[in-house]
Amino acid sequence: MSRLIEVWGDTVDSRHMTGAIALGIGIATPTFLLGRRIFESTVDDQTLAQSYALLVGLGACLVAAVISARLFKPKRVVTEVEATLEGRRAALDAIAAEGGEWTDPAELAREVQEELRSLGLYDVLVEAHRDRQEEVTA
Amino acid sequence: MIEAFLWALGMGLIGAIAFAAIGLVSGTDETAVVAPLTLLVVLLGVPASGVFSFFLAGVVAKHITHAIPTTLLGIPGDTMAVPMLADAQQLRDLGVPHIALRKAISGGVVSAFIAVPFAVLFATLLSPIADEIGDAAPWIFAGAALLIAFTSKGRWAAMAALFPFVLLVVGLNLFVTQQLGHGLSISFFLGIATGPLIADLFLAMSPSGRKTLERSKPSEFDLAPDVRTWKGRMPNPLKVLDRKQLAYTSGAAVVSSATFVFSPVAMTVMMGELAGSRIKNGYHRLTTMMSVRNGTTESTYIAETLIPLIALGLPLSPMAAGPAAPLFNAPPVYSVNAETGATHNLHDLLSTWEFLVFGLLAVAIAALVAYPFAMTNAHRAASWVMRNVSHEAIIGAFAGLILVICLYEGGLLAVLVTVTVGLIGGLMNRLLGVHSGVQFMGYYAAVLTVPALIAL
Repeated sequence: MSRLIEVWGDTVDSRHMTGAIALGIGIATPTFLLGRRIFESTVDDQTLAQSYALLVGLGACLVAAVISARLFKPKRVVTEVEATLEGRRAALDAIAAEGGEWTDPAELAREVQEELRSLGLYDVLVEAHRDRQEEVTA
Repeated sequence: MIEAFLWALGMGLIGAIAFAAIGLVSGTDETAVVAPLTLLVVLLGVPASGVFSFFLAGVVAKHITHAIPTTLLGIPGDTMAVPMLADAQQLRDLGVPHIALRKAISGGVVSAFIAVPFAVLFATLLSPIADEIGDAAPWIFAGAALLIAFTSKGRWAAMAALFPFVLLVVGLNLFVTQQLGHGLSISFFLGIATGPLIADLFLAMSPSGRKTLERSKPSEFDLAPDVRTWKGRMPNPLKVLDRKQLAYTSGAAVVSSATFVFSPVAMTVMMGELAGSRIKNGYHRLTTMMSVRNGTTESTYIAETLIPLIALGLPLSPMAAGPAAPLFNAPPVYSVNAETGATHNLHDLLSTWEFLVFGLLAVAIAALVAYPFAMTNAHRAASWVMRNVSHEAIIGAFAGLILVICLYEGGLLAVLVTVTVGLIGGLMNRLLGVHSGVQFMGYYAAVLTVPALIAL
C-alpha cells in the first residue's frame, strides 16, 4: 500500500503527516495551556492575559512547523525546464484555440512591439501570423 | 493622530512582511491564515488604525507574492489565483514566465492604489441608505447567500444545501450557548476555512476513503527558469504595463470596486474575459488578461472589505464574512450584536478619511515590501519553498492552530464544533462544490436571518 496520499491539494507521506500533526498539536496545545495559566496569574488585565496566551500558542505552531519541515522533506519532484521549440509551437496553437489570434505584430502599438523584440518573440509571432494566413488561403 | 499614524505604519510593515512570506507557500487558504492572524492583532489590543493597516497591507502583499507560485510553478497561490493559471501556463510555454509574473503583479499594484479611493467613494455614496440596508441586512444576507451559492460550482445543490448547513450552525450555536453561556464565532470560521483539510484527514483515516486519496508517486512540478530582462533599478509598474493594459487594468479596478457582494473569483474571471475579448493578438491578449485579472483580485478584495466596513459595519460581502471577519467581529474587542444590529468595530472607530489615508498607506507599504522582492527574488523564493517547506509541516501547523484558537475561544467544545463544521463543510465542498464563501454567508444567515425569521 502506498503511503503517499493527496491531502489539501498536495502529496504527503501519511506517516510523516501523522507525525507532523502530532508535533503541531503536541507542542502548541501544552504551550498555550501553560502560557494561559502563567499569564492569568501575572497579568492584571484578564482579556490581555488570554491574548498573550494565544500569541504564545500561535508562536508554538510556527516552531512545530519548522521542526516538521526539518524532519519531513517535501514529496515533490521539481524540475527546471527551458521552453522548447515544440512547446512553443504547441503554446501558439493552444492560444489560437482559445480565442487569441495571431495578427501581424507590426499592427501592434510600438511599445508592445519593443517588448516583443526584447523577449526575442517578435519573429516568432511574425511566423505564427504567416502560418495562419497560409492556412486560410490554402 | 500621529500615534495612530505610527501604529498604521508599524503594523502595516509587519503585516506586509509576514504575508509576503505566507503568499509564497501555495495553497495556504487566505481565510485560514488572514483571519486568525488579524484576530490575534485585534485581541492584543492594537489600535484600530494598526489593525486596519495590518490587514490591508497583508492582503495586498500576499496577493503580490501569490503570483509567484502561480506563474513560475503553475500551482495557484490561493483560490483567487485559480483563474490566472491557464494564461500563466501558456506564457510559460511561450518561454516568458517572468513576463506573466511582471504583468500580474504590476497590474495588482496599480489596481490596489485605484481601488482604495474608489471603494471609499462608493461607500460614501452608499452611506445615506446605510440604515435601511442595516434594517434589511438579515434578508440581504439570505439573498446574497443564495446568490453566491447559485454562482458556485454546486449550483442548485449548493442553494439547497444551504438550508441543512444553516440549521447545523443554528443548532450547534444554541447548544454551545447553553453549555458555555456564550456563542462561538471564530471556531465556526476556522471550521469552514479548514474544512477541505479536515474532510481529507477523515477520508485518509477511512480505509475506503483513503483509496480516493492514494498516489503512486510524488507530485511533479516544472519550475520555469530564471530569466531577468532588466538591469539596475527596479522597474516601475506603470512602465511594465503598456498604455492599453494600464487603461484596461484601471477600468477593471474601478468597475470591480463598485461591486462588493459578488464572488471575487467570478469578478476576476469576468473582468479578464471582458478585456480579452477586446484584444486580438494572442500575446498581447494573454499579457493584458494577466494584468487585468490579478488587478481584479486586488480591487475586489479591497472593495469587498472597505465598502461594508465604511458604510455598514456589517460583514455583507464574501470577503468581509471570511478573511476580514475579525475587523467586524472579534469578541470581546469588536462586536456585532445579532439581535439589535448594533456594532462596535472598525466602522465606528475610524472615520472615512482615516480609512482613505491609512488604506493608501497600507497599500504603499505592501507595494514597497513585496513588489521589489517578487521582481528580483521570485525564482529563488519559489525554488526554496518547494524544496524546503513540506506540506506535512503546513498541515501540522494548521492542526496546532485549530487546537490553540478553539481552546482559546471555548475549550474542547469549540474544538469539536470546528471539527464538526469542518467535516460537513469540507465534504460539501468536495462532493457538491459548495465552496467556503457560500458557507461563510450561510453562517451569517444562521446568526442574522434565522432570528429575524423567528421574530416575524
